[in-house]
Amino acid sequence: MASRPSALPDRLALVAGAALLLYALWPWLPVPGRAETPRTVVFYGFSILGEALNDDVLPAFARHWREKTGERIEFATAFAGSGTVTNQLIMGVPAQCALLSLELDAERLAKAGVIPAGSWRRLPHGGVVNRTPFVLVVRKGNPKRIRDFPDLARPGVQVVHPDPLTSGGANWALLAEYGSAARRNPGQEGKAGFASLLGVWKNVTAQAASARAARTQFENGFGDVLVTYEQDVVEDAAAGTLPGEIVYPPSTVLSEHTLVVVDKNLDPADRPVLDALVRFLWSEEAQRLFVRRGFRSVDERLNGGNPAFGRIQDPFLVADFGGWDRVKEEIVDGIWKERVMPEVGK
Amino acid sequence: MIARRRGAGLPVGILVLVLLPLVLMPIAAVFVFALRGGLGEFWEAFKNEDAQFALRFSLLIAFLTAAINAVLGTFAAYVLAKHRFPGEKPLTIAINLPVAIPTVVVGTSLLLLWGPIGLLGKALPEGLQPMFTPGGVLLAHLFVTFPYMLGAVKPLLDELEVTYEEAAFTLGAGKWQTFRYVILPALRGGLFSGTLLTFAHSLGEFGATVMVSGNLRLRTQTAPLYIFAQFEAGNVAQANAVAAVLAALSFVIFFFLLRYSGSPKR
Repeated sequence: MASRPSALPDRLALVAGAALLLYALWPWLPVPGRAETPRTVVFYGFSILGEALNDDVLPAFARHWREKTGERIEFATAFAGSGTVTNQLIMGVPAQCALLSLELDAERLAKAGVIPAGSWRRLPHGGVVNRTPFVLVVRKGNPKRIRDFPDLARPGVQVVHPDPLTSGGANWALLAEYGSAARRNPGQEGKAGFASLLGVWKNVTAQAASARAARTQFENGFGDVLVTYEQDVVEDAAAGTLPGEIVYPPSTVLSEHTLVVVDKNLDPADRPVLDALVRFLWSEEAQRLFVRRGFRSVDERLNGGNPAFGRIQDPFLVADFGGWDRVKEEIVDGIWKERVMPEVGK
Repeated sequence: MIARRRGAGLPVGILVLVLLPLVLMPIAAVFVFALRGGLGEFWEAFKNEDAQFALRFSLLIAFLTAAINAVLGTFAAYVLAKHRFPGEKPLTIAINLPVAIPTVVVGTSLLLLWGPIGLLGKALPEGLQPMFTPGGVLLAHLFVTFPYMLGAVKPLLDELEVTYEEAAFTLGAGKWQTFRYVILPALRGGLFSGTLLTFAHSLGEFGATVMVSGNLRLRTQTAPLYIFAQFEAGNVAQANAVAAVLAALSFVIFFFLLRYSGSPKR
């Protein structure tokens, strides 16, 4: 039989194990004086929303709700690329509402039967909670002298881009790259847009699952330029902590972020909280918080509230290109997927 | 045992040189980074509500996984070691399969079985669907870690002389008594190391968990998922504080593991 190790480590293991178990169980132990578990609202959002929602908007709402009703609420949140969030919702995660980075994902949800078709359009501003323009982030001092999207096509420029398969931001970026060229070449929109996309995508060296992940790649030293939401970088740029600088293209798209409420995951008892939350998201207070966190408000008057916002000569919206249905079919699938990517792969 | 020879210096030196960049330096980097901002910053990151939840949740899942698989794995080992039956080989292979399947595939298969659109999950009422709940995470961990207990216990059972059991039996011990007083004590070391291995593996499981958990903070986000999410979001300090704790925990587990599997068995 085994010549057993001395009993001391045995006991030690036992004590260590017990201590670990106690630590793990602690929050769920019925310690007297501990408040009962609050009502939970499950909120999914696309990648760059994390800080604005977790730190500012949702706590502000929880405070108001508590003052009004005396009830404590807690938010369970998850953030990932908009496409990832949409796929999770289709697979059945218990989200009660979700803020997606593009309406197309809301339409995918409707098609999968998760939400009624067009339900988000009945919300204020057609479901759009806030906006942000697409910008370029370059290394400090702009060593490659990048001023606009056509500069991304120059030989030797390495572009970090989120993946259009899982990232809503990447789809907006595609529209920005196509649209800025198309608007400068009236009458030749299709040709100019194709050339612009091909130029950029020949130089894409890293693709990340979400806009946030793409930024992390850029910060870890990949590439010369990153295509991303102004919101994700404007706060750090103003604070001087961004390892790079923002370049505003003369013409770019303003992304619009769509809220969906998932009725089938809503208990009747949760309904009043959700309705109040939805109203709050479009309230002046919440919109101001979004602006402070770098989003542009749907209420233009509030956008002066953030001095770090840059000026864009010719901003455009997805509506200028016929809405997401058309953009997806004609530009994302028709041009980028079917013509640009095969060409890049050669 | 081969007697220790002189002249081991060169090969040992080469081994250490190989291990340094492959294993030792990356682990050291975790701790260097964790403490770079000072203990205060590490403590702040560690205290974070989400981080605390993720660690506790991972530990609870690991305890449950270890407890359940300790019983199931020992039972499986006992059946396979003590009974001869047709189909024994295929069954043994099937039980050991989780070692070889990529964990992401395990997650996918669980989703396709138990998920809301899955083969069985479709039929379950809303409240009972296990995916994207702690139950789903537990299922994934039970699957992935199943073979470890078996691997630790079965060799001991195979080598256990049948005569002990027969002796116990002739002395009038029942089946359960034989198991409890003859077999179980002999398995002590294997049980211990099997449970620890299962625990350690569950604590670090990522591939299957990321598929089935839904990654909800304060609900289903395990420590490895927390590390990944924070790192992706660029919060390296947050990610690394939890990574350092996980690494330290695994060192402790490994220390006990070595004590039990490293000590001479007979």
